[in-house]
Amino acid sequence: MKRIKWSRIYFGFILVLMYLPIFYLIYYSFSSGHNMDHFEKFTFSHYQDLFSDNRLLAIFLETILLALLSSLIATIIGTFGAIAISQTKNKKGQKTLLALNNVLMVSPDVIIGASFLIFFTFLGIGLGFGSVLLSHIAFSIPIVVLMVLPRLKEFDYSLVDAARDLGASTWQVYSKVMIPAITPGILAGFFMALTYSLDDFAVTFFVTGNGFSTLSVEIYSRARQGINLEINALSTIMFIFVMILVLIYYVITNHKTHIGKGRAQ
Amino acid sequence: MKKSKLFFLIPYVLWLSLFVIAPIILITINAFKGEDGFTLKNFQQFFVNGTFLKMTLNSFWYAFLITLITLLISYPIAYILSQMKNQQFWLLLIILPTWINLLLKAYAFIGIFSKHGLLNNFLKLFGIAPANILFTDFAFIFVAAYIEIPFMILPIYNAICDINPAVIQAAYDLGASKWQTFIKVLWPLSKSGVESGIQAVFIPSLSLFMLTRLIGGNRVITLGTAIEEYFMTTMNWSMGSTIGVVLIVLMVIVMLFTSSDHHKKKEIKL
Amino acid sequence: MSDIIKLNHVRKEYDDGFVALKDINLTIESGKFYSLLGPSGSGKTTILRIIAGFSEPTSGKVFFDGDDITNLDSSKRKINTVFQNYALFPHMNVFENVAFGLQIKKKDKQEIKMAVKEALHMVQLDGFANREISELSGGQQQRVAIARAIVNQPKVLLLDESLSALDKRLRKDMQFELREIQKKLGITFIFVTHDQEEALAMSDEIFVLNEGKIQQSGSPVDIYDEPVNDFVARFIGDSNILSGRMIKDYEVEFGNHRFECADAGIKPGEKVEVVLRPEDLDITDIEHGKLRVMVESQLFLGDHFEIKAIDSDENEWLIHSTNPTKIGKEVGVYFDPEDIHVMRFGESEAEFDKRLEAYEGEE
Repeated sequence: MKRIKWSRIYFGFILVLMYLPIFYLIYYSFSSGHNMDHFEKFTFSHYQDLFSDNRLLAIFLETILLALLSSLIATIIGTFGAIAISQTKNKKGQKTLLALNNVLMVSPDVIIGASFLIFFTFLGIGLGFGSVLLSHIAFSIPIVVLMVLPRLKEFDYSLVDAARDLGASTWQVYSKVMIPAITPGILAGFFMALTYSLDDFAVTFFVTGNGFSTLSVEIYSRARQGINLEINALSTIMFIFVMILVLIYYVITNHKTHIGKGRAQ
Repeated sequence: MKKSKLFFLIPYVLWLSLFVIAPIILITINAFKGEDGFTLKNFQQFFVNGTFLKMTLNSFWYAFLITLITLLISYPIAYILSQMKNQQFWLLLIILPTWINLLLKAYAFIGIFSKHGLLNNFLKLFGIAPANILFTDFAFIFVAAYIEIPFMILPIYNAICDINPAVIQAAYDLGASKWQTFIKVLWPLSKSGVESGIQAVFIPSLSLFMLTRLIGGNRVITLGTAIEEYFMTTMNWSMGSTIGVVLIVLMVIVMLFTSSDHHKKKEIKL
Repeated sequence: MSDIIKLNHVRKEYDDGFVALKDINLTIESGKFYSLLGPSGSGKTTILRIIAGFSEPTSGKVFFDGDDITNLDSSKRKINTVFQNYALFPHMNVFENVAFGLQIKKKDKQEIKMAVKEALHMVQLDGFANREISELSGGQQQRVAIARAIVNQPKVLLLDESLSALDKRLRKDMQFELREIQKKLGITFIFVTHDQEEALAMSDEIFVLNEGKIQQSGSPVDIYDEPVNDFVARFIGDSNILSGRMIKDYEVEFGNHRFECADAGIKPGEKVEVVLRPEDLDITDIEHGKLRVMVESQLFLGDHFEIKAIDSDENEWLIHSTNPTKIGKEVGVYFDPEDIHVMRFGESEAEFDKRLEAYEGEE
């Protein structure tokens, strides 16, 4: 009994530690002071500053737009890639594709950022929203592939025969049978791509020009200048935003099983 | 079906060649590019000039420390988690912080570690005088480990969950102590998770340049910081690329090293 | 009865050089229940997949209703399949699964509803339309798979080891039901199985396959009573197979004794194999027996005893008896002349049929 208790305390301690910085930020976002040392008076003034900071708001919206757009495109290409990989019968070919797929997964961000910067300059693509979008699509594709592939491995190919047997065309086999069957994987891939995009700093830092900035890059440049409680207010908003995203994700991925359970009872 | 396969393959292969293969080739070409064509000057500078080698060693030392600390903290957590009720919920709580922007978390530590911040206030309770914590090696390693912990817990947890509980019970049944069970059964069976955890932590740790800037205060210089500096500040792309190529090579070595056990099968010789 | 499917010299060779089918010729008549019976790797599923259109023969032709369909896509064939693991679409409920084929054909909604209802009724799943697949038992999934196939009104229904995932009792029930459904619909069923009991119980006609060749075809009774070679004899039911020698017409020698038998048309002195079914052997006292054996082991199998006994020449005998005996006891074994089935080495099915006809004509 005693042992178990110790393990619980340790678990709780680490969990508190994980959340401490986040709540620390949120706590001081309501302080009327100018640093994170002493809580002075409760105030919403940093939130007011935040909502009147047009530059930051624009960056916030652009970051979300960038994340949604890049994950959507990455999900499509990644899903296609996963299907193509799973249909590659040649073992060697499949291995090669998978190895290449994982290159960006294991590369350090600086390498991805630096090599993309060289790549865009080489092609003469100007740095800005376009280059950042392309980069985010590029580094999100492999995770989508990795999330969809296990579903395709589980996928029972006799379902394809069954659909053909019942008269479905090639296109119908994909749209009515295969894609719906791997949808949980595709959704998971989409959400992972979304987090990759929202979370990225290093790659964006390399390939963004002067005209375009994401939240990460903006926070970095502001944080280098010292503490600014407007950033704290922003963290609160981001935290709530993430909580909502997670909630949506769990509702979507658990939806089907809940219906099943409900009816069985 | 053949046509449809091409339909799926083409966009993907296009991406592979444009954003995976082409950048690697380009950064390699850049590394060998001098004012007038091909040169080995950069590599010469890297390997002859002591500062670069020292920096590489430094990077590895920091990445090693970060990985080790993360592993020591994460393994017990992953194990405790695998024994808990409502695992999915607790797992979600562990992963949730990774969804908060890395920069925000780093920024929080600027406050926590500051001269009159949370940590120093806490230490004051024990009569320890406020110390300069921010911009130290300790601060850098602490924050890096903090950020990487969930990425270490997750693969280890998955590996432990894949172990048939009957195997652990069998070990006890055969008279193994808790420690023996851990060493002889749990650890070997969860090793694949530890290996992927190490991969997931070690490699990014080599390139956390934003942390070295914000928390390490430029005192800690790693390969990642150097690349950022050459690309973004001094605009010496070809030296930056050289460091990049070295980093890629080291990374490949690390990966071969950590995944070697998957291919080796133990043979018992009688 | 008209021929509906014909396979002409069908051969199937895989990329790795494995020959799954060697020159298969078969004719399927409409309205009958067929079984393709054989061990795994015998080629039975390959034949089914070629008929369904999931794989193409390396050479040879497939005809449907007189038309060459060798290269026709499976989606265009008037043939439907009940898959081995049912292959139900997990993301659709029962109704959506059954309606799938009709929706693909863009049938009217009301018409689809009616057809699905009728099909579910046929397989005794009334009221299951809105269930999720995951909520169904194995037997119910099996029925949905059948409904999904028959709702398209195929002329031929293919069933690939369809009962193998069910437990024994359910399997027996489903055998009956499948037979009933087949009779009601009046269409051709081609059933692939490795279970000889199943094939014997259900089929009008059985094709026994081994190593990519049809070994024997015929009614269950024919195949059971007159196996053409020792593969068929061993595969269909338990057998005692002994080597022997033909003495003359209607007399054969095995185990150092001469016995009256029902076979003829074989030259005297020819070496043959003799098949005796264990259930045709009766245990009696030593005086009444044609053979004298010692009981070695006895196993109660529910509806009969399986007895292993050994004769003075060390031949082992398998006997099915309703009455128990004692281990170690010497007993007599009795059988009728018709219970002896004589097989010639290397005799093909065609030769066998010819010989049978010849001497049956004599009588």
